[in-house]
Amino acid sequence: MRAQFRSRIRLILALLILATLGIFLRLYFIQIVDGDEYALKADRQFSSGGSGLFDRGSIYFTRKDGTLISAATLATGFLVAINPQTLGDPEAAYTEIAKLAPSVISHDAFIAAAGKKQQVYIEVAHHLSDVDGKALAEQAIPGVQVLRERWRQYPGMTLASQTIGVVSYGSGNALVGTNGLEAQYDDILSRSGDSLYKNFFAELFSNVGNLLVNARDTREGDIITSIEPEVQTRLADGITKINQRYSSKESGGIIMDPYTGAIFAMASYPTFDGNDLTEVNPTLLGNPFVEHVHEFGSIMKPLTMTSALDAGVITPNTTYNDTGCITVSTESICNWDHKARGVIPVKQIIMQSLNVGASWVATQLGQDKFRTYFTALFGQKTGIDQPHEGRALLRNLSTKEQVNYDNMSFGQGIAITPVQMIRALSAIANGGYLVQPHIASAVRLNSGIIRNIEWGEKVLVFSATSTRETITMMDALNDEILYNGKAKIPTMSVAVKTGTAQLATSEGGYYTDRFFHSFVGFFPSYHPRFIILLYTNDPKGVQFASETLDSTFLDLTHFLIDYYAVPPDRGFATTTPL
Amino acid sequence: MPASMLGHPFFRMRKLRFHLPFSVVSLCGGVVAVLAVVYIGLIAAVMSYAALTIEFSQSVRNDEAAVAVLEGQYLATVAHTADTDYAAEGYVVPTVKLFVKAKSATALR
Repeated sequence: MRAQFRSRIRLILALLILATLGIFLRLYFIQIVDGDEYALKADRQFSSGGSGLFDRGSIYFTRKDGTLISAATLATGFLVAINPQTLGDPEAAYTEIAKLAPSVISHDAFIAAAGKKQQVYIEVAHHLSDVDGKALAEQAIPGVQVLRERWRQYPGMTLASQTIGVVSYGSGNALVGTNGLEAQYDDILSRSGDSLYKNFFAELFSNVGNLLVNARDTREGDIITSIEPEVQTRLADGITKINQRYSSKESGGIIMDPYTGAIFAMASYPTFDGNDLTEVNPTLLGNPFVEHVHEFGSIMKPLTMTSALDAGVITPNTTYNDTGCITVSTESICNWDHKARGVIPVKQIIMQSLNVGASWVATQLGQDKFRTYFTALFGQKTGIDQPHEGRALLRNLSTKEQVNYDNMSFGQGIAITPVQMIRALSAIANGGYLVQPHIASAVRLNSGIIRNIEWGEKVLVFSATSTRETITMMDALNDEILYNGKAKIPTMSVAVKTGTAQLATSEGGYYTDRFFHSFVGFFPSYHPRFIILLYTNDPKGVQFASETLDSTFLDLTHFLIDYYAVPPDRGFATTTPL
Repeated sequence: MPASMLGHPFFRMRKLRFHLPFSVVSLCGGVVAVLAVVYIGLIAAVMSYAALTIEFSQSVRNDEAAVAVLEGQYLATVAHTADTDYAAEGYVVPTVKLFVKAKSATALR
């Protein structure tokens, strides 16, 4: 009897073990082997709940006091979906939804969607606020579902939008960064799809490693930029006004720390609002500061001058005979006013922006040295943290014709991105070093740890003496020439240079009545806090950059001096009583 | 080994039997029951932890979204300030700007 009972118990135990193994086997097949298929099936029935809410790290501006302001973040609200099988009165439903939803599909599209009786879930409206979403949900309209939704939001709207970038659906079903910082730091900003409904058994079987070390916590985070929102706003306002006033094709500006390469502001026009891309021309989504190349004109002269001073082929006291026009290889090169100056010191080349003088300096420098300096300045990408950075067009550096070098000496026949240009000019401002321009300064990891980003080593291209001598010339230009000397700030030295380049035709020549204007300046001249580069492409009704960009540059300079309380570097009344 | 020694009582085969003070089946049953309870408890704990984590994460995101609205207002105000034409409003550029030596570390703020 006892033996019989024991065998029955064993039989039941064996059956239980078999059943348990069977259940585990079944779960294994459902959740791991066929998991994706079942998830897809579930999504088809009720897509919003199955996939979880969109999640992504934030991008921050940094105010001068260190406060972080969102440049890209997440907004939470509601979406509206309909179930055509249970939707009673489509017309009434559409009326109620359209009252509250800011972006709803058209009436015709809604009625067409309501007619698709074989489907159970069609999204018809997005981005409802909390209040509106709850108000619509309370109406309990049959066949209308109000579901939680999260989306990418850019609080500054157009502010630095081409630098910040956007997210969009790439090749897959997930939203990914496709431009700007969103693309550059997508691996840090993107979030893996953790949710409450995680695959428990799959985790148990295959994800044991994460119990010990969670690799995501060392990778995922937020991006902190060096862009200062008020400086960015000022620059954007100035650039917009320039572009609108002169009906330019495009305009832009960069404000950077010449010693570190940290970018405080980067604004261009035309631009876009990342919150609403429905009407945006896709060509605007790229960043023109790294993707567009321009012939910058005479702001190249300080680089030619510094190269020659650094090579020792001229000194600040060297003189030359300016004839107003010269002929090189059958081509004529003239000063902007075609006037001869006679024997003058090379300082006047910068102060009066003399093309004949720049050509003379290039000849003194020689083609090999010219090539060496300009290849060092522009021969490689800057490494800025933006996608799709383009290269400079330096084809003329490979030629033997002297006229090409003469043209390049004053910024024609050499096409460069704005970021490359400000980087090269920063080398004059900071004592001769090429720095790596950058926008992100740190990553704030999910763990709360802030990891500062280390940028590339500085590369010495000019001696400090040669840069100081060029700065003296640029400083004199601001104090004596610009606005006939009225631009001089008694308590602050400012080094500037204007540039006006003829635009190239598609046939390889140059327009005589269409120009590219540029303006560079930094201050305090001999230990600058800021370098500013402005440009406007094809302004109408005006010829010289000193007419289009100088007032905006000076406004920005005064604003930055006041906003950052930059201490005066000259003209300070030391006898001021305490 | 000599064959005669196999007959010695020491080498004689005997049927060995252990007598435990409890049933093995009961022990297994008990262990299974304890494991089942622990397993269910673990699932409950993990699910509760996940629910709390998600709830907290949602709450953080909602707060961030609310802050983003305020940040948007701040940036709009900054844009309005930058766009204001003070000359049109009747203000003029200062004719004199006087710098003074700072008396404290906060004087230049």
